[in-house]
Amino acid sequence: MAGLRLSKITIALLLLLLIVCHVGPSMAVLFNQLPKTLIVTATTKSGDVLHAGEDKFTVTWALNTSLPSGADANYKTVKVLLCYAPISQHDRKWRKSNNDLKKDKTCQFTVVKQDYSATGKHEYTVARDIPTASYFVRAYALDASDTKVAFGQTTDANKTVNIFEVVGITGRTTGIFVSAIVFSAFSGLALAFFYVVENKKKK
Amino acid sequence: MAKKSLEVEAEVEVEDEGDAAQFKMPVDSDHKATEFWLFSFAKPHMRAFHLSWFSFFCCFVSSFAAPPLLPVIRDNLSLTTTDIGNAGIASVSGAVFARLAMGTACDLVGPRLASASLILITTPAVYCSSLIDSATGFLLVRFFTGFSLATFVSTQFWMSSMFSPPKVGLANGVAGGWGNMGGGATQLIMPLVYELIKKIGSTNFIAWRIAFFIPGVMQTCSAIAVLMFGQDMPDGNYNKLHKAGEKHKDNFSEVFKHAVTNYRGWILALTYGYCFGVELTIDNIIAQYFYDRFGVNISKAGTIAASFGLENIVSRPGGGLFSDYLSKFFGMRGRLWGLWVVQTLGGIFCVILGRTNSLAGSIVVLLLFSLFCQAACGLTFGVVPFVSRRSLGLISGMGGGGGNVGAVLTQLIFFHNSKYSTEDGIFYMGIMILVCTLPIALIHFPQWGGMLCGPKPGYTPEDYYQSEWSHHEQQKGYHTASLRFAENSVREGGRSARGSGHSKHTVPVETSPTDV
Repeated sequence: MAGLRLSKITIALLLLLLIVCHVGPSMAVLFNQLPKTLIVTATTKSGDVLHAGEDKFTVTWALNTSLPSGADANYKTVKVLLCYAPISQHDRKWRKSNNDLKKDKTCQFTVVKQDYSATGKHEYTVARDIPTASYFVRAYALDASDTKVAFGQTTDANKTVNIFEVVGITGRTTGIFVSAIVFSAFSGLALAFFYVVENKKKK
Repeated sequence: MAKKSLEVEAEVEVEDEGDAAQFKMPVDSDHKATEFWLFSFAKPHMRAFHLSWFSFFCCFVSSFAAPPLLPVIRDNLSLTTTDIGNAGIASVSGAVFARLAMGTACDLVGPRLASASLILITTPAVYCSSLIDSATGFLLVRFFTGFSLATFVSTQFWMSSMFSPPKVGLANGVAGGWGNMGGGATQLIMPLVYELIKKIGSTNFIAWRIAFFIPGVMQTCSAIAVLMFGQDMPDGNYNKLHKAGEKHKDNFSEVFKHAVTNYRGWILALTYGYCFGVELTIDNIIAQYFYDRFGVNISKAGTIAASFGLENIVSRPGGGLFSDYLSKFFGMRGRLWGLWVVQTLGGIFCVILGRTNSLAGSIVVLLLFSLFCQAACGLTFGVVPFVSRRSLGLISGMGGGGGNVGAVLTQLIFFHNSKYSTEDGIFYMGIMILVCTLPIALIHFPQWGGMLCGPKPGYTPEDYYQSEWSHHEQQKGYHTASLRFAENSVREGGRSARGSGHSKHTVPVETSPTDV
């Protein structure tokens, strides 16, 4: 009766699920197939500590001159990103590197995105929403359809050299500090007040 | 006998110098409401209902305020997966023992003072969540905030004091479900508040801290409302020694013994861990899961996560009603089968969720999973009231505590570190639900049967409930409440046992917290 109807509905739903649950593969851009044609350097040195919102550094990128001419024919834009070093990716699945660049979470902050030229540089003030972590800088060359076609980075393949640190803002403003204390005290006082009233009522 | 007592009560009411007339709602001889008017604030019954479910709701909002904002918090505090997992475990572990202690507190000072005190004591933890700057701080604030989940017990206790037996199941179910809903609502509220504050001009790491003041203020206000407008019992506040049920005159060590030696209580504690415990686990992990796996933004992830918790508005009460419905035709065996089937379906959808790769599919599966998982919570407490009459409060507390233990265990095994991806964790959690639901088949009431076997011939409910009292105690007449309960639970034998069953009551006559 009710049980049979329930199982019929369940089967129908399961069939619907099978139709809906599909994985749609798309043309994946793989990192290990990207040519490293850009030379990227930054004014930060290994072990430098930068404060979010205050400190700046300059990043410079240039096409590797030893490449045959025309290698950058399809480069239309350059996108420079701040990327997590392995030590900051440890035990943090949301920062994991993935060869499939669609799923890659290594580089989450854009430093600059501009039209491509064979050389370029940009002075960047570390944004206030950059978290405390260790970083390196990577630049991607994008073609007209915004697909990554080449890259360069300030560190080596193992991401161990030229790693610098950013100290993010804490977010604890004085206003928040005072408010938390005041509201907490108010809660305690309210409780005490009502207990006193209760005791008085008892008598 | 129940009918006679109703007639007697009616006479007493008329002679009662219009005492009952002071109540807007119809009441029984205990002045407990015999009806449940959901959209009324009639003093003191419905007012107590709204105060208790809303304050419990606020505690859920605070306890699960962090998960939807984790994508921001984890970067601000540089948290690892292990840190987040530990905090998630901490958030539900405090209430394991707090729930057991809250029952005693309600006995001593009444649900009004007990719940308001706990809420006001834990509110500073919510405000101080805005000040943390390390993984340890995060763990501590989640731990202390989580204590407030013990208000579940005071909610159920208060409803049992205010509502007459035919309505107490419904009142408990709605209050419990609407409170649990807070775990869903918070996944909508927090991202909304966060985005609003960011729009006004704050940076992300400041905005989330300000956002935490909202649940804090909600909690403070609800506690003050309880103190100002609430009332422990229909006739007044808790300044008398009169309490519902004989449990207070009872010997604590006897009550304890009869609770811990009843294997059914332990099985239900285990299975509640795999419906309610799973619900708490999902509240903790689901927003991050959608954010990380499908790349939706914080607000969208929060909305999806919210849909899980918000289904509680109907699914948990629905489970309770379904249990009563099954009992009408099949008695206790129907209740047990219903619980097993519904909870197993929940497990199946959990397994499917862990293997669904599309966003749309995941949302659909999540909604179905939520329905069955939460209905199972309601169905569990369709069985709990019958496990023991003498130790009802403690059995309920064991069940409730078991729910939190399930949440602790599940998070510890599957979501605590980077060993399993979240989708694998969900898949294995589903398998664990299926396995840990099987013990329901072992529950057997000699007077009504179990899933697999029928009742012992000739064994009556009186025999079962009387066996909790020694011969000496029976001679003194301590067991009379249990006998009345046994008579009223004749219906649990199903249609065949109805015969002379004259009780129309759908839930036990005597009160004590029936749901936890």
